[in-house]
Amino acid sequence: MIIGNGVAGIEAALAVREREPEWPITLVSEESDHFFSRTALMWVFSGQMSHQDIEPLERDAYARLGFKRVRARATGVDVEAKRLLLAGGHAPIAYDRLLIACGSRPRPGPWPGSDHRGVGHFVTLQDLSWYEREVHGEAGRAGDPPRAAAHLSASGDDSPYRFREVASARRGSVARQPAVIGGGLIGIEAIEVAVAARLRPHFFIREEWFWPIALDPREATWISGRMAEHGVQVHLQHDVQSIEADSDGNVCAIQTDQGTYETDCVVIAIGVMPNTQWLADSSLAIDSRGGIVVDEGLQTSAPDVFAAGDCASVRWFDGTARPEQLWYTARDQGRVAGRRLLGDASKYDRGIWYNSAKLMDVEYTTVGLVNWNVEREQNWFFEETGRVRSTTRIVVQDDRVVGFNLLGRRWDHSVLVGWLEERRRLDWVLRHLHEAAFDTEFVPALRIPKPGPRLDGPAPNPMIPGPTKVPF
Amino acid sequence: MDQQGQNGLLSTYREGWRNRSWVGIAFSVLLILFYFVLYWEHKVEEYFGATPLTAASEAVGLRNRWYLYGFLYSVAIVGGAIYYLRRHGNSRYNRFRISVNVVIQIALGFSLPFIMPLFGGKEFYFSYFWPLKYDYLYPQTLADLPLYLALYTIVGSLIAAPILAVLYGKRWYCSWICGCGGLANTFGDPWRHLTSKSTKSWRFEQISIHVVLFIAIATTFLIGLDWLIGKDHPTFHRIVAGNDWRDWSVKSFYGFAVGAVLAGVVGTGLYPLLGPRVWCRNFCPMAAILGWVQKVGRYRIRVKPDMCISCGNCSTYCEMGIDVRSYAQSNESFTRASCVGCGMCAHMCPRGVLKLENSWQVADDKDRQNLSVVNF
Repeated sequence: MIIGNGVAGIEAALAVREREPEWPITLVSEESDHFFSRTALMWVFSGQMSHQDIEPLERDAYARLGFKRVRARATGVDVEAKRLLLAGGHAPIAYDRLLIACGSRPRPGPWPGSDHRGVGHFVTLQDLSWYEREVHGEAGRAGDPPRAAAHLSASGDDSPYRFREVASARRGSVARQPAVIGGGLIGIEAIEVAVAARLRPHFFIREEWFWPIALDPREATWISGRMAEHGVQVHLQHDVQSIEADSDGNVCAIQTDQGTYETDCVVIAIGVMPNTQWLADSSLAIDSRGGIVVDEGLQTSAPDVFAAGDCASVRWFDGTARPEQLWYTARDQGRVAGRRLLGDASKYDRGIWYNSAKLMDVEYTTVGLVNWNVEREQNWFFEETGRVRSTTRIVVQDDRVVGFNLLGRRWDHSVLVGWLEERRRLDWVLRHLHEAAFDTEFVPALRIPKPGPRLDGPAPNPMIPGPTKVPF
Repeated sequence: MDQQGQNGLLSTYREGWRNRSWVGIAFSVLLILFYFVLYWEHKVEEYFGATPLTAASEAVGLRNRWYLYGFLYSVAIVGGAIYYLRRHGNSRYNRFRISVNVVIQIALGFSLPFIMPLFGGKEFYFSYFWPLKYDYLYPQTLADLPLYLALYTIVGSLIAAPILAVLYGKRWYCSWICGCGGLANTFGDPWRHLTSKSTKSWRFEQISIHVVLFIAIATTFLIGLDWLIGKDHPTFHRIVAGNDWRDWSVKSFYGFAVGAVLAGVVGTGLYPLLGPRVWCRNFCPMAAILGWVQKVGRYRIRVKPDMCISCGNCSTYCEMGIDVRSYAQSNESFTRASCVGCGMCAHMCPRGVLKLENSWQVADDKDRQNLSVVNF
């Protein structure tokens, strides 16, 4: 029995099915009939892909693989009787082994007015449906997924998969001035799709620069400039105070400490949190961040119950236990959980951090300890201009490279991870940097003039107190 | 034009005319009608007493309707190239490739064949080779060509094309030189996402393309045999080559079924419904040969391990119907025979996971994760 039809749940189910063709597998999902790539919602919004295009499995896969699906909201786990409780009058379902892979929900806005009509998020399929309708009108460009509303009879009022009321439908006109609150990855995705819809959205960022947990001010200034070139109104160091609605209940303005801005659609993108409120009465151990407490083998505090993906608090290299809200880690955890469901011993081992993203049209690769306030940290930074624009930042501790932050070019992170494991020196890395290049053909190679830039001090990151010890 | 990045900003493909709306269907019908008139104008004349395309070509000062077709073909490629580069021209690979397509079509696909006869030469297409240009290895064709052109054709078709495909993959031809590929990647680009990704369509392609290849080789062989012994065996000659160009024969059947119906009517007429590579993927005998060669050559699509987010941009925009995502999410660098190396999977990938490369070095990244969704 698996709760969640996302990448962690599906990977686990496939791992079980690969070895046990006969075991009954049930997938409980409120959000969707089909496994889809959540990271791809922005392309469905813009019309670059259809709903089916973002589904990694063919639609007959569930029937072919013998996965039973239940489209309902789980309301609790009875760990004594080994039963899963469901909303909407569904009878509880008994399980032998249970994997909870129920993912994240968007973090709600803490400001007055965060629930006005026309205010939403950009995390779930239902968020996508809402945002599409605000910006494009009644139907989204890719239409709706099959059985879009099948879960509504077995849902709850606090569910992240409820449909939001659409302000543009009430108003009779689509959004012309959307606003996005929160300078992170989901925020910039919500911005990019608004730009693709030929709008000039407001972007409210509380911090001094965009995405401070990953970028330093030089990198962020480039990205902000890039956004401004495409018509985005970037407002740094703006603390939102409240969200205002007109007499009809539709959102009409955002009040910040720097002034009031008119808007007709607001996306709150201030992060996600584990979607675990439904477990409050289930005697499973939940930590203060809402993550399900798991051991190294992803087992929860209850026997035969495992957790994987965004909802699980896994051990980080610095010793803390926190959810890790990434596609790759959910996939890897799902694979480990699959082995645990099969009864194997298996441990989740994160390895060296890496990630990639695309910030507007600037591609981004990061590896290792970037913006972690590493002990005795120094940074080597080179900005390339000309035919290709890029930035290369290498984080160094005592002449050994511990991290890379790379914008504007493509890099093979697996080569860079290897160099960190081998504890390479900065001058060695600079001499070999071309070996990690992954640019498409005909892109001129990165050339670093001699003498190159000098090392400067640690990268500022207001979120991490540091100093952080290097674990590898 | 914005030149930053290898991927670029979002673009939409959801307009109705690009997604089989009635506009797309009507456009497809118009294209098919155009090809009917082009190939069988004598029938149109028989029934309606009009020769619209010949009349049109005379009106614009071209010698016959085939030059008009070449002219319209060039216009479609230039127009499509502008449309394509406005959306995807931020990638240098796309810019170079499409520019070469345009230059080849204007110079070798239209101007030279038009100019050469003015100076007493033969009309000759330097950018086409056997078996795509199926009559270029017929002995009679070779005998009629000047020696240097006959040599060009033989060496080009039998030696140069496969060698280049070993070194660079079939893309050197299918995506850079070939007129069919040029049209598909410019004029046909708006419909590239319509190519079916289903396993069924893959099976169909594997059978159909080899059937056509067999027929192409057999036809060439029979016509070569006819050149040698046809004079002494009139019945054989009648069946293989026919006495008059209107006769049904092996030669005219191939020209009709493959040259006109599959390459023209179906291959281009169905762009708005089935995507722009119907001909190249399912029927082109040259693509079949180069595909085999590609499998043993240097070319591959390299996959960066463990970075795929399974978003599906690569598969959606593969005009050959390859499910690129299934390889990307299982960390498998791969060479598929059908891949024409247009580079759009690497271009559309928002995480830079894919890279086209020519290398003898064996990709060693397959064993990093052996458990993945594509194992099923």
